[in-house]
Amino acid sequence: MPELLKSLRQHLLTGVSYAIPFIACGGILIAFAIAFAPMTPTGPDFSQAPRLKLVLDIGLAAFSLMLPVLAGYIAYSIGGKPALVPGFLGGYFSDQVKAGFLGAILAGLLAGYVVELLKKIPVSRHLRPIMPILVIPILSGALIGAVMLKLIGVPIALLMVRANGALQAMGTGNGIVLALVLGGMIAFDMGGPINKAAFFFGAAMIREGNYQIMGACAAAIGTPPLGMGLATLLQKRLWSSEEREAGLAGIAMGLIGITEGAIPFAAADPIRVIPSIMVGSAVAAVIAMVGKVGDHAPHGGPIVLFVVDHRLAYLLAIVTGTIVTAGSINLLKARGRRLTETKEEKAA
Amino acid sequence: MKVVAVTACPTGIAHTYMAAARLEKVAKTLGFEIKVETQGAMGIENKLTEHDISQAEIAIFAVDIAVEERERFNGVKVIQVPLQEALKDPHSIFAKIQR
Repeated sequence: MPELLKSLRQHLLTGVSYAIPFIACGGILIAFAIAFAPMTPTGPDFSQAPRLKLVLDIGLAAFSLMLPVLAGYIAYSIGGKPALVPGFLGGYFSDQVKAGFLGAILAGLLAGYVVELLKKIPVSRHLRPIMPILVIPILSGALIGAVMLKLIGVPIALLMVRANGALQAMGTGNGIVLALVLGGMIAFDMGGPINKAAFFFGAAMIREGNYQIMGACAAAIGTPPLGMGLATLLQKRLWSSEEREAGLAGIAMGLIGITEGAIPFAAADPIRVIPSIMVGSAVAAVIAMVGKVGDHAPHGGPIVLFVVDHRLAYLLAIVTGTIVTAGSINLLKARGRRLTETKEEKAA
Repeated sequence: MKVVAVTACPTGIAHTYMAAARLEKVAKTLGFEIKVETQGAMGIENKLTEHDISQAEIAIFAVDIAVEERERFNGVKVIQVPLQEALKDPHSIFAKIQR
């Protein structure tokens, strides 16, 4: 069972890794077009702005390609090249019936496993060459298309509508809980699978038109390395010269939204560092959520400031999260040092 | 001993390259000859050639996602580990090889 889950995770992450640039391109182009178009009570007005309309259309195209790419490469990870056709078709139909990223993920998995099954059918030597380029893509493509359009597409679409409605209507209390969890997940493994799960949830919601989930994630993404960097600057005596150097690198990485900058610290002292950065990230995510920060790009840290709504709240969230992280780790570290010193004294 | 390795993480901007650097460093101190291919957001870099792979006694996949052009490694012994392991405990990977 763990083996199956492990390979499932690998397939999902493969799809995600190909989809992320599409979300970035679509999200930022759309945000750019909307930001500069004249705002009316019914939404942005593009009738007088043909160039912005062009930018908007390109962004929307990148978004509509994202689901086929996600489903296609999930399928590719499972079944190799022959699985690309049913995967892309499944993702395309998921967009058509508005089943969103959930539909695309299911379509991709289904497509991949169907192809794996079809590959196992014993065929004569003469037929074998046409299997991967003809038989498998046609059979699996037709099957996945029919399943998405006639069977599971619409129920998933309804589920997505309901989930979206619930997220939009979420009260402040639930929003804070969600932000706490997401912030903690972002910091917990600093770019690993748990971080990616939270991150991709935020990124996928951008496509569904809910920018606040990503806003909370984005604020949390930068604070672990920023906080560790600040900690090394605040109390130099607690840190070795290598750690202070890693701290400066951490600040640079934090500014451009790379949580991984905290890894050298977490690897050296996980028991103190991981809780500290989780608390800081959770605080940052909650402030961002309460401040209604929306992020239009699937990326975090101060670098995305120009595609963020409610920028002041965003900066406040990052600064507070950074200070909380630095304060917690220095407190824990100073305490730990005192304990070891007293022990040494006793031993002496 | 000659080994080849592939590193790949979902985003492909940080972990992939950090893991590659770690593997190279540790391999050097342990006396292995290593070439590491990165499959990050920029695609395949420092690509392993057919010659590299045929010369290697073992291939290390430190990956969280599917390896691109995996068919190149048919016929070589492969050990696959989560990418985190190359960052946190690269020595254990080489210990596995020596066993």
